[in-house]
Amino acid sequence: MPPIRHHRLASAIALVLILAVAACGGKKRPPALTATPGEGGTTSSAPVGTSPAQPLDEGPDVRALGDDYPAGSDIPYGDYAMGTEGGPLTDIHFAYDSANLTDEGRSTLEKHALWLQSHRDVRLTIEGHCDERGTVEYNLALGEQRARVARDYVVSLGVAPERVRTVSYGKERPLDPAATEEAWARNRRAHFVVTR
Amino acid sequence: MTRTERPSRRSSGPRSSSLFAALATGVAALAVVSSRAGGTPQEPIEQIVIGGVTPRFAVPECVPRRPDEASQQACRTLTQVLRNDLRFEGLFQFVPDSLLTAVPPLDPDAPSFEDWKGIGAKVLVVTRAGIEANELTVEARVYFVDSGQTMLARRYSGKTDNPRLFAHQASDDIMTLTQYTGVARTRIAFASDRDSTPQRPSKELYIVDYDGFNPRRVTVNSSLNILPAWTPDGSSVAYVSYRQGAPLVYLAKIFEGRSISNLTGERDGDQAFAPTFSPEGDRLAFASNRSGNMDVFVSKADGSQPRRLTTTQASDTAPCWSPTGQEIAFTSNRTGTPQLWLMDAEGLNVRRLTTVGNYNDGCAWNPSGQFSEIAYTARLEAGGFDVAVIDLATRQVRQITQGRGSCEYPSWAPNGRHLVFSCQRRGVWSITIADREGRSVQTVATGPGNNVQPDWGP
Repeated sequence: MPPIRHHRLASAIALVLILAVAACGGKKRPPALTATPGEGGTTSSAPVGTSPAQPLDEGPDVRALGDDYPAGSDIPYGDYAMGTEGGPLTDIHFAYDSANLTDEGRSTLEKHALWLQSHRDVRLTIEGHCDERGTVEYNLALGEQRARVARDYVVSLGVAPERVRTVSYGKERPLDPAATEEAWARNRRAHFVVTR
Repeated sequence: MTRTERPSRRSSGPRSSSLFAALATGVAALAVVSSRAGGTPQEPIEQIVIGGVTPRFAVPECVPRRPDEASQQACRTLTQVLRNDLRFEGLFQFVPDSLLTAVPPLDPDAPSFEDWKGIGAKVLVVTRAGIEANELTVEARVYFVDSGQTMLARRYSGKTDNPRLFAHQASDDIMTLTQYTGVARTRIAFASDRDSTPQRPSKELYIVDYDGFNPRRVTVNSSLNILPAWTPDGSSVAYVSYRQGAPLVYLAKIFEGRSISNLTGERDGDQAFAPTFSPEGDRLAFASNRSGNMDVFVSKADGSQPRRLTTTQASDTAPCWSPTGQEIAFTSNRTGTPQLWLMDAEGLNVRRLTTVGNYNDGCAWNPSGQFSEIAYTARLEAGGFDVAVIDLATRQVRQITQGRGSCEYPSWAPNGRHLVFSCQRRGVWSITIADREGRSVQTVATGPGNNVQPDWGP
């Protein structure tokens, strides 16, 4: 997977396409454009519709929701505060050295599960991240645990398990590289990337 | 020692193919014995004895074979690197440089041993170098000063582009006079963000000589590439890359420029971490979440026939092999905190190793077989991390680093006499080397950026 912030324009385009389809699908019937589970989520099937063909084919198969798409453009789920990186599914956070869900984390995941159930064409990659205060290997294990508990929780709320993958980043890709309590708290997180 | 033979190198560079030992005349079959009992109190415990004496080395300046500047420059490099290599091994004492200049000029063909005896030298290393027809030729002779006996005589010739390699080779040859294998030709693989950009934050893998020189980049994919692990023959490096999204194990065949993807055969959606090859190179231990949570697995070196060794619901990860390949240490948080555990290579006989502290991770088993001990990373009361070593017989822990910021991720030199790890000081991670007692701890200049996760290779 390429870095999350790569190809911002492409990300923005992908987002708009996802949202356009999602908006239609939510009101009428299952969207015409579906990435069949198990297909591996390639984006080579260019969307049919109003959007002109975009060079999505050569992009990666997992696209982060970029942090700089036009704010407020065609976003049908205004109930959800925009996350730190602008995705519709906000991060959840963890205590130091812990992979236990907080009450706030559970509540956020419940909203995410609702959103996922109303956007059945999307798949989700949950990234587990840690702050820098820990060893490389154990943080990779801790990140795996964090992503897994988040996944297990949304699956327990009815989201099909095959729609949700996990990736542990350990402390290898902090959101905020600063060595402060605030930065560490932001970095101890599960991050949600919408996949198609 | 179990490890007496150096793995053959497949480099097409001057390292092996064009270096050759022409003559090994008069290599005396001198007894090389350990003097654990006989050393003076301030001497290191591992002080060795060559030919019945404690080796106090004199390494005078290399004598150029030819007057041209290139030959002289090669000679200067040779002297500097050879001295550094021999000092690094930590086995010898040296006549101070100030005394070396007090001796009449060296006649490299007929050293006046009385001169060298006068300044306390027991072992004299005479080197000569010259460049002719674009070929560098180096001669190294090692004399026993008291008797004038030649202990080692070698001639090396090869390409002129890296005289350091000649010195490394000579140092390793001199080390064959001891019971230890030298490390001068070894290399260290590590991960660095030096080529990262804000648009594409990345870590790539690099290889340097053990002294930090001769850096080479291994991966070029602008993704995360971490946790390098050499194959014991030095031909390949396994590592974890996120280039396809999920972290998977890859194998870079560094001299062929080829790489193998998903070595451990993870299914779509699963992740693999922390690859490490058995000492014989026939098996691969790694961590995978394919069973639903992180467990330790062992497969053949090519990833086939994987077997799950741990079965708890806890995270079991970061395996390392014993020098015999019969045991594996790993990290588990099954008791609530990460601790080191031991098991045999079939996953049986599991028992806890570390009991001090509430955060211990990243084992590295001393490969020498001579020292039964495991290095690891321990969290201190104050919150930082330090490298520690636990003696497997006594369970005593000695701290290797102290007050250098946070240090982690130890890896042993192939001869088990030094450790490499990474330390963060003033916000920057640097490759750092210590001897196994933790007496000398030094940063190795390996280049810009944050340099982490070193693995000391053959």
